[in-house]
Amino acid sequence: MNSSAYNPFQIARQQFDHAADLLDLDQGTRELLRNPLREYHFSLPVKMDDGSTKIFRGFRVQHNDARGPSKGGIRFHPQETIDTVRALAMWMTWKTAVADLPLGGGKGGVICDPHSLSMSEQEQICRGWVRRIFHDIGPKSDVPAPDVMTSSQQMLWMLDEFESLTGQHQPGFITGKPVGLGGSLGRREATGYGVMIAVREALKELEIRPQNTTASFQGFGNVAQYAIELYEQMGGTTLCVSCWDQEDGVSYAFYKKDGIKLRELREATDPFGGISKGKAKDLGYEIYPGEDWLKQPVDILIPAALENQITEENVGMVGETVRLIAEGANGPTTPRADHVLREKSVFIIPDLLANAGGVTCSYFEQVQSNMNYYWEKEEVLSKLDMKMTSAYLSVSQFALKNELSMRDAAHVISVDRVAQACRDRGWV
Amino acid sequence: MPKAIARFDRNFISSRHRISFIGNGSPGGKALGLIRATEILEARFPTERFPHLEVTIPRFTVLCSDIFDTFMQEGNLYDIAYSELPDDRIVYAFQQADLPFQILGDLRSIVEEVRLPLAVRSSSLLEDAMYEPFAGIYETKMTPNNQPDADTRFRKLVEAIKFVYASTFFKAAKQYRLATGHESESEKMAVIIQEVVGERFGERFYPILSGVARSYNFYASGRAKPEDGVVDLALGLGKTIVDGGLVWSYSPAYPKIGPPFGSTADMLKNTQTEFWAVNMGKPPAYDPLKETEYLRHDSISEADRDGTLRWIASTVNSQSGRLSMGTATDGPRILDFAPLLRLQMIPFNDVIRHLLKAGEETLEAPVEIEFAMNIVNKPEVDNKHRLGFLQVRPMVVSSEVVNIPQNRLAGENVLVYSDKVLGNGVLENVSDIVYIKPDSFDAKYPPAIALQIAEINKRLVRENRPYILIGFGRWGCSDRWLGIPVNWSQVSGAKVIVEAMQENMNVDLSQGSHFFHNLTSFSVLYFSIPMGGNCYVDWDWLQKQTTAGQTEWLRHLHLNEPLYIAADGRTATGVITKKIPSEEAE
Repeated sequence: MNSSAYNPFQIARQQFDHAADLLDLDQGTRELLRNPLREYHFSLPVKMDDGSTKIFRGFRVQHNDARGPSKGGIRFHPQETIDTVRALAMWMTWKTAVADLPLGGGKGGVICDPHSLSMSEQEQICRGWVRRIFHDIGPKSDVPAPDVMTSSQQMLWMLDEFESLTGQHQPGFITGKPVGLGGSLGRREATGYGVMIAVREALKELEIRPQNTTASFQGFGNVAQYAIELYEQMGGTTLCVSCWDQEDGVSYAFYKKDGIKLRELREATDPFGGISKGKAKDLGYEIYPGEDWLKQPVDILIPAALENQITEENVGMVGETVRLIAEGANGPTTPRADHVLREKSVFIIPDLLANAGGVTCSYFEQVQSNMNYYWEKEEVLSKLDMKMTSAYLSVSQFALKNELSMRDAAHVISVDRVAQACRDRGWV
Repeated sequence: MPKAIARFDRNFISSRHRISFIGNGSPGGKALGLIRATEILEARFPTERFPHLEVTIPRFTVLCSDIFDTFMQEGNLYDIAYSELPDDRIVYAFQQADLPFQILGDLRSIVEEVRLPLAVRSSSLLEDAMYEPFAGIYETKMTPNNQPDADTRFRKLVEAIKFVYASTFFKAAKQYRLATGHESESEKMAVIIQEVVGERFGERFYPILSGVARSYNFYASGRAKPEDGVVDLALGLGKTIVDGGLVWSYSPAYPKIGPPFGSTADMLKNTQTEFWAVNMGKPPAYDPLKETEYLRHDSISEADRDGTLRWIASTVNSQSGRLSMGTATDGPRILDFAPLLRLQMIPFNDVIRHLLKAGEETLEAPVEIEFAMNIVNKPEVDNKHRLGFLQVRPMVVSSEVVNIPQNRLAGENVLVYSDKVLGNGVLENVSDIVYIKPDSFDAKYPPAIALQIAEINKRLVRENRPYILIGFGRWGCSDRWLGIPVNWSQVSGAKVIVEAMQENMNVDLSQGSHFFHNLTSFSVLYFSIPMGGNCYVDWDWLQKQTTAGQTEWLRHLHLNEPLYIAADGRTATGVITKKIPSEEAE
């Protein structure tokens, strides 16, 4: 990824402008939605383990909450910028809207590198972050969640701080909690399963039987693993997965001619989704450079790792056999690469829709936490399927009716829903 | 999977496909039977002749056997399933496991669209196989599916599916597979989710009638010939018939002639008095382990209040003792289906005859069909009457001609004689007899006796020794006061079953109706011995034989020589002799 030229907020605004043009939105609504409703910037002093005091910068952006409480993760990243957080908050607004959840969009972050922080230092950041902003967030206004380099541990510290400050148990304040401490069953599977529900519905429309398809995945974390699991149940064959190798600092693609076996590959994988080369070789896998996941002769490509992965430079590697791409990751395809793929008649399920399973399940967690009553896993996942299927169908029917790409249709639907909510509230 | 059957499209009621499937495995035997029934209806049933009566297969979708495989593997359930744990522990373990994700959205779409009862029926690979019946071995569960909250409806449907899955590994099912020489590992379970035929009446949902019709009758009497067939009818859900309750039997060739009861009092004694319905009212006590969790067993006076007897009952005038058709006057009701069969207010019997004929032509064998029917008051104005066609199976009718020499039917060598025998054939390889001791038998003990029989049966099956089972009352009847409430798996090793009567257990003969399909398919002979006729059992001889084992109520004999057993299906006559008669003696 070429970070110097990549300003996500600029891209998010371009996408919004395009959707606003298609919708012929009035100027006032455009201005309202091009910018966040609220932004919070604050300093977080932390007493470091060596006795020194360090000041970290934290943010929370609430892009829009016309449809319901803001929802979005908290990122810990050394290169965090306010523009990244703004862009991601805006995308959350569209994502919750396209999934038709009664939520708005938000995002938060702290400029820090958790790898160089002790647990105690991280805990201070988490608690400090909540202390700075607890008046303006909460189950009824803005609900954070884990994101890049934050996990259920950070969520629990934040929850504990929030509950201490408010003097009440409020598990609905935050999502991504462990099961048993306010978390939801099915959360781990939700994003991956959601990606594959979208694929399932797309294959029906393309009149392709899943049993007759093959796929290649980028990434082997939670999203990819559960997407592969459901894909196997549907009868599909995964030929290749790629993943990052922490030791070598590069990624590799693992290929098996007759199809990978999820169960055996999982056993050769560390908790961060890294596959052991040695074990994979013993299991009969062929190992290639990471980018080779893209050039496999498969029907389906699932980028499920990072943003900015299918670019103008490598889009030519995409095989002629590929008919469908489902974006499991956020923003994996650049606009130019997207254009090339559409020219080649590749059907793309955009990230906004394809990976909405995660936020949908977060919403379910929020609902359960607010009730303090937790559902069976089957109940959670059946609702996930219904939500994802209807989200897919509304986007695809809209795309067909208005002769739009799936990406444009998803954006137009979501912008329209949010704009309508703003109008209904009398904001514009 | 037949090509004509569609994939489930998340429109259970509104889809143009009445039958659909989820998954890629086998739909199981029962679903294949239903698909066969569809083909029969489409190809051979003259729909146009019945403008006010709709004959359909109730809508259903099948969870194919691959879903069961995934459920078992992902839930690591095989160890528990094949363990010796009691049934309730197996159900509990199955309820804890998760159904595969791929079907959850589909199941949810069903409960979100449908607000009427659903039947969750087993459809295993072995079930209803053409000649090896597993009918009644696995469980069916009905859910009212009328809770206001879709989450609750969904949960109940999921529980019912897991219950049916678990029933694959119930003790009775395992023993049954053992007795019939099937590897447990080869069995897989598909599940049918089907709409229930019926209508809601207050807190009950039920069809006006359920029935089983057979195109061949082993007990033809009067003018009726065996080829004329026989129909059993009951009010409410078909469970009354399956469980061997009191039903109305008639020949479709002579629908106006009922069973030969001597008097109205006799009819009153033998008429159906209770019926099964789906409970649409107050939720019952939570018990996902129980097949009848959502069913209710009510008196027919409740049905009278619902107004559902007018098509199927006659009324006894308590002063004159005469019977008048219908329910226009007050008085005790007899469910003789006279308005349908005698007045023929609806061409019900014609439909049944056409279905039997169409079934026979398609399967090229005598057939057994199951159905349920809903009747509307004004079919010209309201919806049509509706007959739901629920199953069709071929019947095994032995074609061997058995001639029993006259001199073998009487004399000292005869152990059992009956002229009410079901089945046809000769057996000369049975040396074991298990019988209920006449002197210690008491109508209080049948359930305990059933358990003792099951133990002996288990041992004899393991040792591969076929046996004759002799006892009192109606074998397999769920009403303990009418007979021994065994299920088929508890007597599965018997090659001959004798149903005798004595003073303290003198009820109408069942003539094998509870096990009918099992008996015919496995060529088991069924001897009925009513009181007071010329049929008999030589109890004294049995008493004098050396005991191979006994319990409080049972004796097991192992004879040195095999017995001679013969049944002539044409005359319903049968005999068991103490020794195989030598040719010279004849």
